Amino acid sequence: MWQQVELALGQSTHRVLVKLASFLPALVALLLAVIILALIGAALAALLRRTLTAAKFDERLAHNSIAPISDWSPANSPTALISRVVFWGCVLIGCFIGISAFDAAYPGDAQISVYVFPYITHAIGAVLLLIAGTVIARFLERSILIGAVNAKLQYARMLSIGIKWLVLVLTAAMVLDHLQIGGGVVELAFGILFGGIVLTLALAVGLGSRDIVSRSLERSASTLDPIPGDPDYKSPTHTETLRHF
Amino acid sequence: MASAETNVNLSASPASAAQGLLVSLPPLPQEAFELAVGNLALAFPGEPVLVATPDTSSQSSGSPLRLLSYNPTTVSATPWILTAADYLNAYKIAQDNQATACLVLGAEAQSLSPEAIRALAMSALQSDLTVARYDLGPREGLVNAAILYPVTRALFGTRPRFPLAIDVGLSLKMAGRLAAAAQRFTSAGQNDALLWPLNEAASANCTIAEIPVTPRAFPHPTSSDLNAVLAQVAGSLFADVDAKASYWQRARGTQPQPSIPTSTPVAESPADIASMLDAFRLAYSNLHEIWSLVLPPNSLLGLKKLSVMSPETFRMPDNLWVRIIYDFTLAYRLRTINRGHLMGALTPLYLAWTASHLTLISNGTPPEKHIQDLAAAFEADKPYLVSRWRWPDRFNP
Repeated sequence: MWQQVELALGQSTHRVLVKLASFLPALVALLLAVIILALIGAALAALLRRTLTAAKFDERLAHNSIAPISDWSPANSPTALISRVVFWGCVLIGCFIGISAFDAAYPGDAQISVYVFPYITHAIGAVLLLIAGTVIARFLERSILIGAVNAKLQYARMLSIGIKWLVLVLTAAMVLDHLQIGGGVVELAFGILFGGIVLTLALAVGLGSRDIVSRSLERSASTLDPIPGDPDYKSPTHTETLRHF
Repeated sequence: MASAETNVNLSASPASAAQGLLVSLPPLPQEAFELAVGNLALAFPGEPVLVATPDTSSQSSGSPLRLLSYNPTTVSATPWILTAADYLNAYKIAQDNQATACLVLGAEAQSLSPEAIRALAMSALQSDLTVARYDLGPREGLVNAAILYPVTRALFGTRPRFPLAIDVGLSLKMAGRLAAAAQRFTSAGQNDALLWPLNEAASANCTIAEIPVTPRAFPHPTSSDLNAVLAQVAGSLFADVDAKASYWQRARGTQPQPSIPTSTPVAESPADIASMLDAFRLAYSNLHEIWSLVLPPNSLLGLKKLSVMSPETFRMPDNLWVRIIYDFTLAYRLRTINRGHLMGALTPLYLAWTASHLTLISNGTPPEKHIQDLAAAFEADKPYLVSRWRWPDRFNP
């Protein structure tokens, strides 16, 4: 009996080691592909950056272009944006090549790339969604904060944070849905959370802050300059009205 | 440096005075149009002055002037101020009619007196650029006093008091230059973009003149939202400063101190600055993080001290305001934050300056003296802007 146990253990160990030995080259091929393509991407990005800087690409674009591409570029430099896109594109290509190499090097019957490639594209889409959602949340937060402060709303910060978290929660739900994680649980949780935030804001602003809102609105209305033609418009006298322009 | 003169030879013989002059009127109601044409007829008695108007239905009975109705190729939706569309239209008409000088009048042009119109026209025939100088009350033209005049004077070395005057006289050369600048905006569909004639004239080494124009009725901005209009006007100035950086960074002589009116200052009743102070304090508590992205620690400390000042002693030092404007100009260029957000964050700071200015003049300081002192402070601190412009990462006090 002990001989059979020894035989079973020996055979299973041998099988695992063989699988590991056949797995390692595939893994090395994957890593090599990613590393080499990353190095090529870095070199291309550096070359592109030097070329565009020498050609004063940023200045020409800022001078001629009305589109606010610089607003969306890292460090407000389209050159940096393009070079980073090239670098990460090469890294991505390296990942795809690496997975194909893994598939080719791995002697198993299962075609891993058939399952991995679609998920990688979903993952890339999810990352892009996350980045876009975060950028939009920050932009909206700042826009609403500044607008509410200039409108002299006392609850400006609360409003801006509420909007930011609404967008972030929505983004997180979209990302999880895109990655097919959680399924119905995520959808339900998102619905409850989102609806809860909206209801809370509505109750806080509509009921709890009723007096504050009406005072803010009255204050805002009294400070607005009526335009000529408005029934409340009065010809300004120099002792009463400021003319900023 | 562009030369500036304020004395204009008005003794030119009437027969040659208005030779080749084009007067461009804005869209006016029929009654205002007739009044404007009447004033023009008085300003140029018996002279063949060409008057262009976009109102095709406007007819003036018995006028000796040559009226020209035209369909504007580019239309501005901002009638209260001269925009790129106005300069482009004026140049096209001047070019088509072989005019040698052009007088572009802004909204409410019917309120201009014949003497003022003639003075502007005579100067336009002699200088490349003539801008009007208005006699405003101490609580009027505050954005011009706070930002437009000091920045233009400090960076471009120009003396005229109103860089964004709504009545300007242009030689054909100057009109062509402004039209070329306007074309860049109108081709991108930005007919309402603002141009800065003084900056263009200074960078082209053109002659500049300034003519007092009183009285005059002033149009109100189309939008009653201070935030939106300030963003439009100040943002346009910052963009122009950015575009002409290679000019103003070269050393320029400081302007001679213009004479300040010696009339006894009338003690103004204290303005209601409470709402402005409330807006500033609310902004300080909420926008401090955004301001810290644009302003250095020294300026933030100055704002902190301001936020705890009482209304009676509320006083923003001139050098603090200078640094704020220069830092915002730099942030506009570097796009430190979104430009719309940047201009929105400037509004409460401008209200703080306004409150400080009004407090000062209610205590007896002549408003024009404060404005001239402020402009001198902008000139004195120009090296700060130049240093930060050239080395934005290294020089950050």
